[in-house]
Amino acid sequence: MEAPQYVAARVQQALAEDGRTNELGIRVDIRGDQLFLRGQVSEVEQRTRLGQVAHETAPELRLHNEINVVDATEPGEDEHLD
Amino acid sequence: MSILTDLRIAAVGDIHLGEDGRGHYRRKLQGIEERADVFMLAGDLTRHGTLEEGKVVADELRDLPIPAVAVLGNHDYHSDMEHEIAEELRDAGVIVLDDDGVVLQCGDMKLGVVGGKGFGGGFAGKCASEFGEREIKNFVAHTRSIAEAWKLALKEIVADERVVLSHYSPIKETLEGEPAEIYPFLGSYLLAEAVDTAGADLILHGHAHKGSPKGMTPGGIRVRNVALPVLGRAYGVYCLDCENGS
Repeated sequence: MEAPQYVAARVQQALAEDGRTNELGIRVDIRGDQLFLRGQVSEVEQRTRLGQVAHETAPELRLHNEINVVDATEPGEDEHLD
Repeated sequence: MSILTDLRIAAVGDIHLGEDGRGHYRRKLQGIEERADVFMLAGDLTRHGTLEEGKVVADELRDLPIPAVAVLGNHDYHSDMEHEIAEELRDAGVIVLDDDGVVLQCGDMKLGVVGGKGFGGGFAGKCASEFGEREIKNFVAHTRSIAEAWKLALKEIVADERVVLSHYSPIKETLEGEPAEIYPFLGSYLLAEAVDTAGADLILHGHAHKGSPKGMTPGGIRVRNVALPVLGRAYGVYCLDCENGS
């Protein structure tokens, strides 16, 4: 059986290199037969695509897509640099 | 007598617009002209760096009520269409910096902006050097030539305030939160060294989604990581106190 570290590395590479996702900052963890995705994206669709690519890369694992979607619409407080 | 006025800079990086972002992003910028004098974009405007995505970004930024200045990021280079994307943005009225500078008139103030994508290599004591294989030497030489271009551009610019706009980080502090092992791919101290040598009032960068918002260069220049996930809001607004002497 392949060491989980190599499988996780391959999933992470796929998320970065697959044209559907090209997402670099997603954390991939494997525990037993479970695959966990964590991180932050700005669209629900991107989270779904990341789940798809991860599943295709390691179909034998049970996927937990724990990526957060943060849609920032409002500007925040000004910062004064004096 | 001197009059204190604020120069307000709205900034964000890593907006990563895909083709499905068409028509959605612009509404986040509604009313920006009431909050800021200029809008700066710190790279990674697209997701895959395709021309189609570049056109989406250009359309979403077209004819903003305040000047927009942008640099590209590594994602915008992914499809080898960076020049075409920059042209699309310029056609839409966005000033795109590519290791050069521009001076904007903001009210009574002249704001100089210098920048470009930047690049990696790491930070003093834990960085790549121009030694060994050609690939490593090319990697470091790329960053070094960028830093040199910024230094020259900063020295040439005549302005009341000077801001450096980058995608990659010039310091480690604003990377805190990212795994330390990947710092060399997130920025280079050569960028900070160049800006410290030539002088500036603020450095804005993106790229490090899990990084920290605030830091400063060894020379004491404030650095802000404006990557969208770090800001957690549509854009940050940074006010520079300007002493308008008379």
